[in-house]
Amino acid sequence: MLSFVFRRLAVAVPTLLILVVLSFVLMYAAPGGPFNSERPLPPEVLANIEAKYGLDQPFWKQIVNYVVSVVTQFDFGPSFQYKDRSVNDVIAQGFPVTLTYGFWSFVVAVTVGVSLGVAAAIKQNSWVDYFAVGVSIGAQVLPNFVMAPLLLLVFTLWLGWLPGGGWNGGQWQFLIMPVIALSTSYMASIARITRSSMLEVLNTNFIRTARAKGLPMRRVIWKHAMKPTMLPVLSYLGPAFVGMITGSVIIDVFFSTGGIGQFFVNSAFNRDYSVIMGITILVGTLTILFNLLVDILYAWIDPKIRY
Amino acid sequence: MLPNRAAVEGIAENMHLAEVKGRSLWADARTRFLRNRAAVISLIMLCAVAGFALFGGLIAQYKGDFVNFSLIGSNAYLGVPSLETGHYFGTDSNGRDLFARTVQGTGISLMVGVVGALVAVIVGTLYGATAGYYGGRIDGIMMRIVDVLMSIPFMFVLILMLVIFGRSIFMLFLGIGLISWLDMARIARGQTLTIKNKEFVEVAVATGVRPLKIILRHIVPNLLGIVIVYATLLVPNMIIFESFISFLGLGVQEPATSLGALINEGSRTMQFGYYWQIAFPLFFFIVTIFAFFFVGDGLRDALDPKDR
Repeated sequence: MLSFVFRRLAVAVPTLLILVVLSFVLMYAAPGGPFNSERPLPPEVLANIEAKYGLDQPFWKQIVNYVVSVVTQFDFGPSFQYKDRSVNDVIAQGFPVTLTYGFWSFVVAVTVGVSLGVAAAIKQNSWVDYFAVGVSIGAQVLPNFVMAPLLLLVFTLWLGWLPGGGWNGGQWQFLIMPVIALSTSYMASIARITRSSMLEVLNTNFIRTARAKGLPMRRVIWKHAMKPTMLPVLSYLGPAFVGMITGSVIIDVFFSTGGIGQFFVNSAFNRDYSVIMGITILVGTLTILFNLLVDILYAWIDPKIRY
Repeated sequence: MLPNRAAVEGIAENMHLAEVKGRSLWADARTRFLRNRAAVISLIMLCAVAGFALFGGLIAQYKGDFVNFSLIGSNAYLGVPSLETGHYFGTDSNGRDLFARTVQGTGISLMVGVVGALVAVIVGTLYGATAGYYGGRIDGIMMRIVDVLMSIPFMFVLILMLVIFGRSIFMLFLGIGLISWLDMARIARGQTLTIKNKEFVEVAVATGVRPLKIILRHIVPNLLGIVIVYATLLVPNMIIFESFISFLGLGVQEPATSLGALINEGSRTMQFGYYWQIAFPLFFFIVTIFAFFFVGDGLRDALDPKDR
């Protein structure tokens, strides 16, 4: 087990390095620097500014400096756009917000999705099943950027129940719509995967044995069927996590929640490279760590996997 | 007991009637697909949407980039969808004909989806088949590369690319092409692993056919079924992907448009009561995605040998 974890880590570390180098190379290849504006600065001033940000050094030195400061001090450098802030400040401000609604979306998607899927599988071909399948098919075509305006239309414009945007320190009224918008399509996928996986498990021999021994259905499902059912769901959690992190961009733009997504899009329009890179690397690190966690969990749960 | 001569002759004469008609796997799949009502209806809907995107421009009374200045500002009551003004879907807040723009947006979204799926089919299948066929260390290295690429949050890298190299539809296609093939490569590899030990491949190896030819002539055709299924399911994902980018304003640029960009515009003006500006693009978006999912499901049931 330990050697499996180490082997996975051995893949994760170079992946991260590749991501850092890739985003740096992309940024370096960009035509025009961050300080080229419509009113060109005098060359001496430009040279001074570039020296301050270390942009006058040769490519290899810049990249080594960047990688070293990111890896050793978690320092992503100064923002090119907001003169008085560093990328770390931006992340420190936006990340807790993203983490809050991201966490709740994840919880909602998994709990609701799994319960719907299990209920549908146990009562196959009943109204519960049809309801669950209907919901999951319907929700599949409602990605977050479709859900967000629809929710706004219904709950803010027509019913007037919920505030149309803002964060307000994460009060629950401000949390509801972002969480629903972000979790819906993943909830649907999880429900679908759980249903088909549970149906498959319920048809296996060991479940029949358990039933034949006279165990009550509740015990069979919780004790015996749940664990193998969760395997495909578990492997979907990686992509779902990535999707939710990416979806936070839409949530922030739409509900003005002020998470990192908002800074990401603003920086994209302002060509604030260091912020974009910082956020990309942060998100990439999270993704890789999360996938690592899922892999380890998977190997731990599934007795068939040899490591 | 002697057989009845006449009866035997009768049977012999009628033998040709009872001759078993061979059915190919594809014919089998077609019957299965046609029996799936949701999939057939979805296929018809898809054709209708494609027809709308292709020929809608002929019915449109206005060009998509034509700005009717007299409508700006009074869109809520003058830009209402109506047959008389020729703005079948109404106008947007800039006084442009929404019908023409929806036609254009649908076309671009479909094109993005199909191009993404095509790249996935070509690159992913060849990559996966090669990795699976050679196996061993080559397979290990090739699939590790896929693993590494998969764990990068591509949406962010793509946005980074769009920012750096400018927002253009070419970059968008490039970005979508870069990610779309990864899943396909995995699927194709898995399938190749089961195919490559079959007798017909062994025969080909024994008779000295070159590896490249074995992959192209003997393995890839046998992957086609599963590849088609996943390509169909990939198209809606690519459309969603592009709409996501365009929704942020980073994808397709004005005056061109896509469904994502239209939904974005519509969502910004719905508070003024122009519900048609979000309703029509959203309708085409949902219908297209729905139809692709159902057709993909139908194809899977028809072509996937597991469920037979």
